Amino acid sequence: MGHALAGQFPVDHSARLLRNYRYAAERSMRALGGWIALTPELPAKLLLGRHVWDLAQHADAFGRRLPELRAQAQTSEPPNERFVAFMDALEEPEQPHQTVERLVGVYRVLKPHVLSVYLDHLERANPVYEPPTRRILLRCIEDERRHIAAGAVILGHLARTPAQRERASVWQGRLEGLVTVAGGVTGDGLPPSRPPAAPAALELGDDAREWIRLAEGVTVWPMPDDLRAAVASFGVALVARDEAELGRWLAPGVVRDEAALATLGASVFDRHDVVAVSRVGRQCLVKLRLEGPAVLVTVLTRWAPGDAGWRVAALEVASADAGRPHLPRR
Amino acid sequence: MERPIGYDKLAREDRFVRMRAREVAQLKVDQGFPPFADLSTRDSMRERVHGIMVGEMQAMEGAGRTVCDFPEAPWEFTLDMARQVWDESRHVEIYLRLLEHLGGYAGEFPETTILWRCACAEDAAARVAGVNRGLEGLACDVFNQLVHIARKIGDPILERAVEFVLADEITHVRMGSKWLTKLTEGDPERRRRAIEFQENIDERFNLGGVRREGDHDVVSISIATDVRRMAGFTEEEIERLIKTTQRSQVY
Repeated sequence: MGHALAGQFPVDHSARLLRNYRYAAERSMRALGGWIALTPELPAKLLLGRHVWDLAQHADAFGRRLPELRAQAQTSEPPNERFVAFMDALEEPEQPHQTVERLVGVYRVLKPHVLSVYLDHLERANPVYEPPTRRILLRCIEDERRHIAAGAVILGHLARTPAQRERASVWQGRLEGLVTVAGGVTGDGLPPSRPPAAPAALELGDDAREWIRLAEGVTVWPMPDDLRAAVASFGVALVARDEAELGRWLAPGVVRDEAALATLGASVFDRHDVVAVSRVGRQCLVKLRLEGPAVLVTVLTRWAPGDAGWRVAALEVASADAGRPHLPRR
Repeated sequence: MERPIGYDKLAREDRFVRMRAREVAQLKVDQGFPPFADLSTRDSMRERVHGIMVGEMQAMEGAGRTVCDFPEAPWEFTLDMARQVWDESRHVEIYLRLLEHLGGYAGEFPETTILWRCACAEDAAARVAGVNRGLEGLACDVFNQLVHIARKIGDPILERAVEFVLADEITHVRMGSKWLTKLTEGDPERRRRAIEFQENIDERFNLGGVRREGDHDVVSISIATDVRRMAGFTEEEIERLIKTTQRSQVY
């Protein structure tokens, strides 16, 4: 055992490490904040929303420590241009269908890496004269463990198909390559990887499984039986492109989007699913997802009750994506 | 990253149906319903709570964008906005649970995006004026009334949860007042534009006379004058808001 006052970091070096950590914390905080609006899935939004503030506090704690180490307060510094390139790549996936890539970058690559760096730093920071830094690291370590665990739950929920898991794996490999080339968040090389430790017990408000449950809401769309039957027949008619049967369900004076009807008429579908049911007064808005070998179309219909039963009072195509892979069923 | 993003980039799961507020209100009026949920029935309370849940989601998204869009802003501003993201994400969870408590589900009513559009202002000062003071001020009115109604109908779950959310909203209004002042220091023209933006939002959210001064049981959305004072609105601002509600005609 070495001398109690033996240390591995000169003050200036310690300050540089904290500026490096702050760079990663601040930049990922801004990315997570910006992604919330770009991410469709509600559980993923809640995940990102929870962690923005933790990252802000990490960056703030590192930034406040800096003047105590003869450095300027609240400054961030990347270790090198290669780490900047890694962060640029991590921020790349901004499209709505790239939630898995966004989460993989943060929760499978960046956070496990900074966690191992913080643990390594903690082991080497002198316990007699570096407690201020050690306390910050301890807090960050606890948060990062909690974040990684929550991210794994949400990723497990979102990456359900082999194709999605493959996509996640490819993206993870690319980013891990970049962070390795950069020498990690400090530029000094990657510390040895560590077996994952269990995070501290969750408070209810931080349980990612609950976010999934709350967001899913219902397993069967609530609607009157006669409307359910009408929607089912209408969906079958859309898939079959049976104009006579479709016409039977359209109310007189229906608000029709002719371009939408042309899109539907020109596409081949093999199945339909109800993906949303909303209410406006006594009327119901029903969103149908139509899937074909080469196209995915979402149709929004407004159903109104009348003497003849439920009829479509308005119809529009909400979205149409050619070449999209099939989505997992509810 | 793209900074800022267009308001049409707001991403949603399929379970949500997005519509213009005006169209939703018109459809309801055409069917003989009031344009906005009036809290008179459990059904209407569920609709109001759903609207608030969606509003909290957009507030979280808006605050998140503010953290992302203004890296050159003072660090303390970013910290406050990051805190607000956390608060709003907890509020979304609270209202999802309240929705469940009331027998509803996410997506049960259409989503309107007026709040999100306000959160897309290009100037940080305009965002805090419009969102933190205009929209969070509206939230103070709505939540204060909801606490009152929950107490009246004997729903302690609703009462206590919304009371805590209200406390957060008061904090957000204070943040808005602080940063409106700090960000526009020495730039009266920027301040004027930001306040004008907030006043436009206030006017829009008077909802054609739905928000008014009056008893919780009588008006659909009653202006929470005491809570607004606590949040740092001046007497002059409260008086001006009340006056504008008397001439708002459109929803």
